[in-house]
Amino acid sequence: MALTATSTSAQKPATAGTRDAAVVADFEAKVKQYLDFRQQHVGAPPKPTNNPADIVSKQQDMGNTIRVARAGAKQGEIFTPQIADYFRRQIAASFAGTHGKQIRASLAHAEPVKMELQINQSYPPNQPLQSTPPTLLLNLPNLPDGLEYRLIDRELVLRDTEGNVVIDYVPNALPESIK
Amino acid sequence: MKLLFYSAIVYLSVCVLSTTLGAQQVAVKLPLHSGSLRFAVIGDSGTGNKEQYEVAQELERYRQAVKFDFVIMLGDNIYGGHSASDFKGKFEEPYKSLLDAGVKFYASLGNHDDPNIERLYKPFNMNGERYYTFKRGDAQFYALDSTYMDTRQLTWLEQNLRSSDAAWKICYFHHPLYSDGKMHGPDLDLRNQLTPLLQAYGVNAVFSGHEHAYERIKPQNGIYYFIQGDSGKLEHHDFHRSPEMQTSFDRDRTFMLVEIDGDNLYFQTVARSGETVDAGVLTRQTRRAGL
Repeated sequence: MALTATSTSAQKPATAGTRDAAVVADFEAKVKQYLDFRQQHVGAPPKPTNNPADIVSKQQDMGNTIRVARAGAKQGEIFTPQIADYFRRQIAASFAGTHGKQIRASLAHAEPVKMELQINQSYPPNQPLQSTPPTLLLNLPNLPDGLEYRLIDRELVLRDTEGNVVIDYVPNALPESIK
Repeated sequence: MKLLFYSAIVYLSVCVLSTTLGAQQVAVKLPLHSGSLRFAVIGDSGTGNKEQYEVAQELERYRQAVKFDFVIMLGDNIYGGHSASDFKGKFEEPYKSLLDAGVKFYASLGNHDDPNIERLYKPFNMNGERYYTFKRGDAQFYALDSTYMDTRQLTWLEQNLRSSDAAWKICYFHHPLYSDGKMHGPDLDLRNQLTPLLQAYGVNAVFSGHEHAYERIKPQNGIYYFIQGDSGKLEHHDFHRSPEMQTSFDRDRTFMLVEIDGDNLYFQTVARSGETVDAGVLTRQTRRAGL
């Protein structure tokens, strides 16, 4: 059965929809691979406590473990050029859609953060988190627990929330007109 | 399913109950009915500056009179760093007398909060979640993370609103859907995504912060909206009045007291000085039979 299906689809020209589905599947596989890798290195997430020092210390330990385990990681390992292109198109479509004006307004009011991004760096603890417009999020692939998208300047960051680590980012993800 | 509201708003002058607390008096403008639900509201509180402490002292004076036993926090609970000393100086010390009295705090996340630290901090009662719900008396509360309103959170909200049979449904989150504030203004994209759910599932009132002032919005599609983002930070002269504004205050820091009794929600907004800057009663929106 599987062979028949593969062979049938191979005979049809790939449409934009099927190409995008394959790109999203590739992205989701890379995300799962990252989470499996993290699980292997840092174990279960921490539990609530009365002591904030414990929480901060565990977050830092987790972040450091991730950084060591993926030392040498480079931009584009998750957001490959093909995946990054898909994200840029999705974001551009959001801005061009019926809610584009509201997304721009929300971004303008969101206390934008500007910083130079590096893979494996921590998000600065005393910087506000720029809110991510919901309509933008609705047009991007869902992320599992422990990962989130954040906007920093024009970049779309994939952030490990539990270790506070920048895992990868899409350069120039927002249209230039947003800057 | 579409719910229609008959919205009604009645502003009453309620009796002023002067309560003597030692040599000091507080002017409570809530009816303090037996068996009612009472809570306080603070927003954008976590500065650690002396004004936050002074607001907290006034809040404690009112607690002794009003006897509320929980506080909802509208985000920006801890500004700046998130070390143990930040939690101490910006939360544990200013609200020590309330915490010692057993008052519970239920936090929502603002853009200055660290979600991964604060959600794990037990005194914020978030149980490790960025967004959560809890029920007190006849009211179901929904603490949302408006900095990251993704599909999962919207789905969670819809499921939890739909399944609740509470008489009052109250949402609170950091970014206001309506605001006349000059500093930020309304989050229009968030409004687009949230209001259909709030309206469809009968949310009665929404509390937000972010704007460093106090504002009460005229009911929008039958829902009551408050902005209370000045329990620590303050932005003077922060408003340009629109037709949506019911009233506003931006001359001092404030907190709110709320009492729910049957179909009425009484509120009182108190400044750091003890002055009452707004008060009234809102009637629960009733739904058309069968919906």
